[in-house]
Amino acid sequence: MTDTTTSSTLLTAREITLHLTGLVLLLGLLGLWYWLSTGARVVPTLIEMLKDDDPSTRIVAAEQLGQIGPAAKAAIPQLVNQATEDGSQHANTTASTALKWIDLAASRRVMTHFAMRLQDSDVQQRRTACAVLGSLGPVAKPAVPALLTATHDADALVRRNALIALAGIGIPPGPVGMALLAGLHDSSSLVRQTAVAQFAFTVPVSEDAAAALTPLLNDADKSIATLARTALDKPKAGDAAHLESLGMMLGHSSARDYALHQLAQLGPAARDALTPILPLLDDDHPLIRYLAVETLAGMGPGAQPALVSLKQRRDSDPIVQAAMTDAVATLESGIAPSPVSAAGATPP
Amino acid sequence: MSSLTMEKSSRLRDLTRLGFWFTLLIGFLLPWAIMLGVETWVHQVPFARAWQSFTLHLFAPGYNLFLVGVLTAVPFVILAIMILLHLGTVDSQQALIARRRVLGLLTAELVMLTIAGWTHISVLIHPDAQGALAYFYLPALLLLSLPVGYGLGRALAKALVPRVTA
Repeated sequence: MTDTTTSSTLLTAREITLHLTGLVLLLGLLGLWYWLSTGARVVPTLIEMLKDDDPSTRIVAAEQLGQIGPAAKAAIPQLVNQATEDGSQHANTTASTALKWIDLAASRRVMTHFAMRLQDSDVQQRRTACAVLGSLGPVAKPAVPALLTATHDADALVRRNALIALAGIGIPPGPVGMALLAGLHDSSSLVRQTAVAQFAFTVPVSEDAAAALTPLLNDADKSIATLARTALDKPKAGDAAHLESLGMMLGHSSARDYALHQLAQLGPAARDALTPILPLLDDDHPLIRYLAVETLAGMGPGAQPALVSLKQRRDSDPIVQAAMTDAVATLESGIAPSPVSAAGATPP
Repeated sequence: MSSLTMEKSSRLRDLTRLGFWFTLLIGFLLPWAIMLGVETWVHQVPFARAWQSFTLHLFAPGYNLFLVGVLTAVPFVILAIMILLHLGTVDSQQALIARRRVLGLLTAELVMLTIAGWTHISVLIHPDAQGALAYFYLPALLLLSLPVGYGLGRALAKALVPRVTA
């Protein structure tokens, strides 16, 4: 460093270059740390974390595995075990949420396990069953009839959890919407509040729902009145601008599952979004493909242009393939499925 | 124009090097140190548990404490480069200019550390649903505060340094 003492500047050009190189190395090390700690590379570590005694560790590990998606298939047995056997309800629901992003068949196994628990004599088992089924989202569609029965349970918390689960599943929109509308008149204020909250934050607001929510603006319970206002201020089901924004959201990986789920609940009104939905039939995530098929099936005659494509496809996931077969049958029969507003819709 | 002695020049050189690496390290470590500090001293969580929870959430979806640290560090990386290029390239004979630049950069760093520290502590002590948005706005706020802090420091230097050197 003798040249620094004779340099005209505080640091020589060489010193500045060396410091900048050090900075680049530091950034490179941070990048390497991030790369090694994310994606499929971290799956074995996360599987070990699922065996941890601390529930918060198991919960975070499950969340991270869900984020990784189908590449985390090695974690399926441990996640199914956590979803069905763990003593912590939060650990059960996070494992179920992760599974729907990794493997639909494993999700359906969890669904079958908990659908049977909806009739358990232990009230806590029934509450947990509802919570887990809801965390599976639209994959738990076959559990809707059992959940509709659970909305008449003697326990208010079971009824509340059943409504949350139905809103989380969302399809078929007819029966789900009717159960939520019935929830608005439940004897328990907690259940009523939950039903309004689903319209405010989760499910689209149909014309029937808007009519049922309007009187609640003057409800004696201020929280119910506020939630009803929030629900009524939302864009209505079928609103053209809302449909357009949902269609645009399909192009963003972080929002497409939400957008697809909303569209799947709109029924024939979602037909304007047909063009951006079709490429999602080739998505890497089975859940996205499943939602895309369910949305097309819900559109009815509006999805006729997709019929040939659906008939030619063979999906590697059996759940998606089964949904596709059902969708083709629905579209070929030419029966328009019940829209979101339909009262007295066909059972699932 | 006054000239620096060899010793003063050497001290400024060390200050530039130290300032560069200190700024880089504090930029990355400040948010993480605050997270651990709030858990330990405010929420009364034993340090070992706080550390375990911190490492668990570094890359966890919905938390991503690593990303929070990196976002906060970006403006400090820019400040560090500024220290290197703006202070490191000053003519070693120009004592007055060097001192004014030191005061400008030091003030910018103090302003940025205050804003970053206050924001992180506020978000952790008063958590709410929109709190995490602060982490996304913070880098922009820090980048804006950099020239403001630097200008403030230069103004202070203009007022104070000539009298010291007189």
